[in-house]
Amino acid sequence: MNPVTEYYHDRVVTFLVMCSMIWAVLAMSAGVYVAAELVWPTIDFGQQWLSFGRLRPLHTNGIVFGFGVSALMATAFYSVQRTCHVPLRLPRIAWFTAVAWQLGVLAGGLSLLAGINAGKEYAELEWPFDIAITLLWVCFGLVFFTTIAKRRIKPIYVSNWFYGGLIIVIAMLHIVNSLAIPATLFKSYSLFAGAQDAILQWWYGHNAVGFLLTGGFLGMMYYFLPKHADRPIWSYRLSIVAFWAFTYSYIWAGPHHLHYNSIPDWVQNLGMVMSLILLAPSWATMINGIMTVSSAWRKLRTDPALKFIVLSLAFYGLATFEGPMMAIKSVNVVSHFTDWTIGHVHSGALGWNAMITFGTFYFLVPRLVGTELYSVRMANTHFWLALAGTMLYILAMWGAGVSQGLLWLSLDELGELSFSFKDIMASMTPYYALRLVAGLVFLTGAAMMLFNLFMTIKGRRTVAVEPPPVVAYGVQA
Amino acid sequence: MRKTIASWLFIRLLVKPAVIFDELSETRPSPYVVFFRFLLWMALAPPVFAFIGASQFGWRLGAAEPLYLSPGELIPISVAYFAVLIFGFVSTALVSQWMATTYGARSSLGIHLAMVTIVVAPLVVGSAVHLFPHIFINVLVLIPALIWSMYLLYRGLPVVLQISPERGMLMSSALIGWLLVAAVSFLGLMVALWGRGIGPSIGV
Repeated sequence: MNPVTEYYHDRVVTFLVMCSMIWAVLAMSAGVYVAAELVWPTIDFGQQWLSFGRLRPLHTNGIVFGFGVSALMATAFYSVQRTCHVPLRLPRIAWFTAVAWQLGVLAGGLSLLAGINAGKEYAELEWPFDIAITLLWVCFGLVFFTTIAKRRIKPIYVSNWFYGGLIIVIAMLHIVNSLAIPATLFKSYSLFAGAQDAILQWWYGHNAVGFLLTGGFLGMMYYFLPKHADRPIWSYRLSIVAFWAFTYSYIWAGPHHLHYNSIPDWVQNLGMVMSLILLAPSWATMINGIMTVSSAWRKLRTDPALKFIVLSLAFYGLATFEGPMMAIKSVNVVSHFTDWTIGHVHSGALGWNAMITFGTFYFLVPRLVGTELYSVRMANTHFWLALAGTMLYILAMWGAGVSQGLLWLSLDELGELSFSFKDIMASMTPYYALRLVAGLVFLTGAAMMLFNLFMTIKGRRTVAVEPPPVVAYGVQA
Repeated sequence: MRKTIASWLFIRLLVKPAVIFDELSETRPSPYVVFFRFLLWMALAPPVFAFIGASQFGWRLGAAEPLYLSPGELIPISVAYFAVLIFGFVSTALVSQWMATTYGARSSLGIHLAMVTIVVAPLVVGSAVHLFPHIFINVLVLIPALIWSMYLLYRGLPVVLQISPERGMLMSSALIGWLLVAAVSFLGLMVALWGRGIGPSIGV
């Protein structure tokens, strides 16, 4: 037995959870504002920093790096300690990473508002931020992998494979795609040019979706779903097979973002075929999740959070089916550049990423602070708002996207375009208004959740809760 | 357990769903009766409304003058619409029956077809909006109808299939997953066919 009782390092987790929720509300607000600008284009009031071109990257970066990465760091730090039966190996570096990451997201967000933009989607931040991200990511990896190295049980649980994959692959993607020659402090030029730059950018862009928004959050699912359900994962073997199949096939799928563009045809076809193959490991994981939770239905009585995870699996199923389907060239010819793509992204981001994170945080925060959730009723209301907002968003974008795709391709008897681009876009206003309503409904739910979690933590402020001692698995007293 | 369901189920369902849920939970209807007495006719309504609307008023897609299609183009589309609805209703009932084992629900096909009848009822009524084929007005009417349908699914399923509300919640969500995937599959199939020139010629 250990001579000194060890404790899990959980305060850093609580900090990251709350930062993640604050970024969620801020970045979703930016999203709602840009959605409103598409309905009323003059509400930028002539201010450059309020324009669509600046607020949109703030929205996407805030969600991916602020909300998403903070949530992944929080849950990775929490679960790696429990699955390895050791406290974090480098707690000070963990705290440094957590705090510096928030400052980085804040400064990066301000730089985007100031118009400093590298011009690559989801990699808009300029080179000083790229270097900072690299250093902090290495710190994240150090904390995670040194903790794994010190583990007290030999097998590495599947959630850690996904988190580990996230850390390694995102490092690789970020470093290669950000290679650039700085011209000034806030301006650089990519090391790659033309079609190579485009292929590389979407190798990065698609796999950021793959290994961060899918793989990372699957790590979250594989730890927290069995915990919620209080039973082991339905098929552990399937989860491992799915992990390796997922890792192998995802990395090839990027070129489907460049269908009918000036990249070689065989590269496009390869991207399409690998995207279709990707359906198998994605759905293997979904089936694993659904079967795990289906036998634990009694838990739903006492656990409002489990509902979010159940529904997130349904939307995960939709998004991972819709993606490969949209990668088929004959579907892509209509769907490409339309709002269908935006709808697809949001069926993943709202339905899968946000829902599973909400479910996890509702589970996690009461345990972290040692109290009941402030309001279960509010959490239940949030569930219905999240479901309604996501459904409304997807339906509005399906309608808009398919209309755009067909109208853009429509030719008259002389072979000329039947409709002008301007007229088609003007006719989209009602769909955009519907999307704005959907965004507002979803944002309202997220804001309620932030308040709920804040009150849960505040209620325990007078009583300092010690993190639980480490369970020394297999160590005889 | 009764073997028949009342013919006026459809009307009462829209007014007093809770009573219908209770009645159905004590009934073991024949799949043929549910299909031929209800679902077949319900699947007929939207294509008929759409045919009348499109031929009389023309589709307003937003960007152009109303789009009139010839009866030669409208009839195959309406028939395809009917076929898709029948396929959707029956396949959903079969998927629901398949899921019943996992969630410990009743497994007779008749009761699953009845459940589909309940869920699609608001959408079938809402499809009357096809009589005025303006795409956004259709969206505005069908979305509340869809929310109503989802409410009926989540509330009705555990009662009708005699499972606990918690298991009902899980099974309803699993069915939503299936329906979303089925919907997006049809969307993909449709645009792929259209993109290849199979379908009405609006110049695509």
